[in-house]
Amino acid sequence: MRLIMGVVVALALASAGVAAQQASAPDLGVLAPTNLSKPRPAAPFTVTGTWFIDLGFPGSWRFGPPYPKLTPDAQKHFDAAQKARAEGKVYRDDIGQCWPAGVPLIMTRVWSVSMVQLPTVVYMISGFMNSLRVINMDGRPHTDPDLVVRTFNGDSIGRWEGATLVIDTTGFIDHHHWIDNGIPASDQLHIVERVKLVGPNGTKMQIEYTMTDSKSWEGEWKMTKQWNRVDARDMEIAEVECLPDLNSHIPSTQSKENVR
Amino acid sequence: MRFQRFQKFQWFLVVAMAMAAPAFAHHAAAGIDRTKSVTLAGTVKAFGWQNPHSWMEVEVPNEAGVVTTWKVEMTSPAFLIRAGWKATTLKPGDKVTVKVFPLRDGDPGGLFQSVTLADGSTLTERAAAPRPAAQ
Repeated sequence: MRLIMGVVVALALASAGVAAQQASAPDLGVLAPTNLSKPRPAAPFTVTGTWFIDLGFPGSWRFGPPYPKLTPDAQKHFDAAQKARAEGKVYRDDIGQCWPAGVPLIMTRVWSVSMVQLPTVVYMISGFMNSLRVINMDGRPHTDPDLVVRTFNGDSIGRWEGATLVIDTTGFIDHHHWIDNGIPASDQLHIVERVKLVGPNGTKMQIEYTMTDSKSWEGEWKMTKQWNRVDARDMEIAEVECLPDLNSHIPSTQSKENVR
Repeated sequence: MRFQRFQKFQWFLVVAMAMAAPAFAHHAAAGIDRTKSVTLAGTVKAFGWQNPHSWMEVEVPNEAGVVTTWKVEMTSPAFLIRAGWKATTLKPGDKVTVKVFPLRDGDPGGLFQSVTLADGSTLTERAAAPRPAAQ
């Protein structure tokens, strides 16, 4: 009898343990050791390193022209930006006023971007304002639309398709967030980035962008950008913040030529 | 050797291109008139060694002795270091001659081009030559 009771208790405890594991597994963070150590296929490459936008690559740091066919609302902003440009002015330079650049523009600022790749996550930190991107690679879906906190860099999940890292990002904020001068990003913005390493010894990284945003343009807006790996110490990222009192010393951010 | 040459070229390209478009890093530069250059002879009031932009304020007297403070925006310390700058290069009270691209709107401010110090040396934001690649 005592033996039977012992077996029952042991089974109950084991069952409870499994149940607890099953219940907690979906909640594991990307840095949880048990999440990091799960068996996974080896990553085809690592983006770990510091990267700098290749300004000599076609299209350089900007996402247009060419531009897609804009919606009427977006076209109003674009026309106002073009008018400002023709007058030697600049339209809604929110980045100059310390608003985050946001994805995709944060990727092509003329600053280094440091990346750290782990089996469950890729962290990207731009040297420009230390803007952080978190790309969850542990198989989770996008955050529930009813729960997501909309941000300038969005809600990113990544997966491997052969030798390509595919990053899918939604959950963007539509507040002071621009794709290019006069082209607003809305809460419908959806970006797919297909990341590949190219060049000798993987010293160049290319990302093919496919962007849709039904509130701002029609169809897919596609382009490819390229980065160079920069290994020198003086290309590392550092703490960089946009501060109101700093801007008071930067006269062009205070210029009357800024159209708000 | 071939890879070292590639690295040198790559670094040069990075810096050259970055220096060609530093103003885009933080803000648009439409307020700056790059077709004009203004020379300011005055005294350093303050020098900010900061990211994303360094800056200086220069007190410039006119012929009548009225002093105007000019605000001059510069690139980031990382680029200035490559061009030979230090955090201590400028101190309040230093006599300097500064060249700037002025603001279009006429306010006393502009984008830094060069500074000539009291000892006659001149500094810009550009590195004199590409630095050897890191090993």
